[in-house]
Amino acid sequence: MTTAAPVQPLPVVGAGVVSSAGYGLAPLAGAPAPGAAPEPAAGADAAYPPRPLRPVPGFKAADHLGRKGIKNLDRLAQLSLVACKQALEAAGPAAAGTDPARTGVVLATNTGSIAGYSDLLYETLTLDKPYLINPGKFAGSVMNCSAGQMAIRHGLKGLNATVAGGRSASLYAFRHARLAMAAGRAEELLVGGAEELSAPTAWAWHHAGTLREAAPVGEGSAVFVVRAEETPGEPVLAELLACEVGFFGWTGVNRRAGLGRGLTNGLVTAINRALERSAVAADDVADVSLGAGDHIGLDRVEERAVRLALGRLPDPVRVTEVLGETYSAGGAMQLAALLARWQGSPGSGKPRIGLITSVGHDGNAGALVVRERV
Amino acid sequence: MPEPTLRRVVITGLGAVSPVGIGVRDFADSLRAGRVGIGPARSFDATPFPSRKAAEVDDFDPAALLHHLDPDRWGRSALLAAAASRLAVEDSGIDPLLLSAGRSGSIMGTTSGESAVAQSLGGQWVTQGLKGLEPRLVGQLPAGQIAGAVNAELGLSGDAQTIPTACSASNYALGYAFDMVRLGEADFMLAGGADSVNRLTHAGFYALGAMAQDLPQPFDANRSGIITGEGGAALLLEPLEHALARGARIYAEVLGYAANCDASHMVHPDATSIADCIKAAHRNAGVVPDQIDYICAHGTGTPTNDATEVRAVRQVFGDRLPPISSIKSMLGHTMGAASGFGAIACCTALEQGFLPPTANLVETDPELGPGVDCVPGRGRDARVEIVQNHGFAFGGNNVITILGRYL
Repeated sequence: MTTAAPVQPLPVVGAGVVSSAGYGLAPLAGAPAPGAAPEPAAGADAAYPPRPLRPVPGFKAADHLGRKGIKNLDRLAQLSLVACKQALEAAGPAAAGTDPARTGVVLATNTGSIAGYSDLLYETLTLDKPYLINPGKFAGSVMNCSAGQMAIRHGLKGLNATVAGGRSASLYAFRHARLAMAAGRAEELLVGGAEELSAPTAWAWHHAGTLREAAPVGEGSAVFVVRAEETPGEPVLAELLACEVGFFGWTGVNRRAGLGRGLTNGLVTAINRALERSAVAADDVADVSLGAGDHIGLDRVEERAVRLALGRLPDPVRVTEVLGETYSAGGAMQLAALLARWQGSPGSGKPRIGLITSVGHDGNAGALVVRERV
Repeated sequence: MPEPTLRRVVITGLGAVSPVGIGVRDFADSLRAGRVGIGPARSFDATPFPSRKAAEVDDFDPAALLHHLDPDRWGRSALLAAAASRLAVEDSGIDPLLLSAGRSGSIMGTTSGESAVAQSLGGQWVTQGLKGLEPRLVGQLPAGQIAGAVNAELGLSGDAQTIPTACSASNYALGYAFDMVRLGEADFMLAGGADSVNRLTHAGFYALGAMAQDLPQPFDANRSGIITGEGGAALLLEPLEHALARGARIYAEVLGYAANCDASHMVHPDATSIADCIKAAHRNAGVVPDQIDYICAHGTGTPTNDATEVRAVRQVFGDRLPPISSIKSMLGHTMGAASGFGAIACCTALEQGFLPPTANLVETDPELGPGVDCVPGRGRDARVEIVQNHGFAFGGNNVITILGRYL
């Protein structure tokens, strides 16, 4: 019954990135320079598991946001707010003219601030009077805290969504924004993802056993200002075309029904569908931005799916080599790194097409198609 | 670019796993009777707390309801969502293979995600350090597992998106799923939400001064706050044409919705912003205030929420308020599932012709002003055509859905 209807391109007019590589798109363009290795401090901290880490070095929210209103914010909200501010500044004055009631947020997170939440959890399990925990911290421990804070700081009164979907959470956010625009629910959206590094998070990855031993756990936030329609004369970084995400992690349900769809086939389906709805041929894809490189088994699923869908694997952008695993923010970082490559290496003048893929052990898989603006 | 063809969307299946009953029949019977599902908290040690009550699903047996999921591999919130979704599919009478063969998925709201799993991990942290966390539980923790469980149980390959936007989350999920079916992005969607009772949420609402001394008494002059609750709520959304072609029972048509953000404070609700959201929902649904027969309130039972909510409703309806009741008086505050249960209550109200009550009401707060009909005590027979379901949340997230009887 559904149609694979072509999608309306959505202009991306600003990007804000805070990552272990630095601020903005440019530091994501290549592999880390020699000597630019991340601070070893966190890795030497006894609270952390024995594995590489990629924190945002020397991050102090007040340097970017001023001192007002940040005291009780956890690191996740601080990182999100910095990316959000930079994205709005990059978008320039046209963004400031949008109706606040038609401007909203779609932010990916799978857990909210693990550090903030687990501190409170620890207190409620150990205090004699657990109901004496800090109420402000409790209010800030909800998973939609970062999106709410973005709205408060910038007066964004439109829809305010927080989305989860494992490693594909950021792609769900792009898809969510696409749908909200198609339904006419917003004129401008701040879309992206955020992830925070803490000892409990690093231990969680360590225990999960899905990351390669040498794979670093990272953090950061990437946020994009996306419009329903572009303002004439406004600089546009790129256009978001179709984004398709699905779930392919059933345990035998459909195998019994003879439908036999696994994770690789699921990702192929998502890529094909996204290309079709973007009116883009497989041969037209110039660049692929991969996300699963740090995951045992998943890296092969992802590359195999791209080869099956495109018939080849163009020299991929591998942002995880720079940032490590950034989970909820992963897809947003993949888009940021793709845009960084395009900015750093001029094309032929013809707009390049990029493909961003995502796949997780939880069964989620997705693909986003973007087009360069020249 | 051609305009997308918009489809009409109806609700044809309901699934409730709630403190007042499992399955939509039991749930609706409890609502009509004003039955309260609150008792001593069992899922955590509540002895250090002055109030030890919670609204739990005591008799939840996931293995009895689920066909495919292994309960050991999923957290409680995921199991509640998957069980509610399975019940909704059974209630709809649709062929499950038709669902899994089509473009179908789930959008599930939550406040605290897998908080019961987090509580177990917290216990391991306290006794054994972070080194001692159990890998099996770590994998169950991410909130995305909630929608994932629904898709895994039903064999769905479409979107499995979890929306952790706190206490209006399942209303947002319902709205987003409605857009997906309306725009042709999906054939069938399960929408709803789930949360689990846990010690941290209990402590947090205490710390905020929002916990009821005894039972929750929304709209009462002596109301003192909430009781934390849990459950899974799910609604099956289907294109109208498809529902008609298969002769489905149609509970309601989703007429429209609106979502906005106060953008002013994380915790305190804002009456004008809520009123703006109601007006936008009416506009989007193509209805006027006079057509609304009933409001299923957010109605937490805190002094601030109920006063603000009634003030907001007055800004839109003037002094002719429709009956407005709070099912949280019976269910407790089921957090991310709350407005999903509200939507189910609205559907049964439309189908059976009654107004869900506000239980535990002794004296309607005179400070709420004249003309507030909270439907005290028990459900009341009434012909209901169009209803309005409220959900508000930390972060200032308001979502209002408008449901109508399909004629």
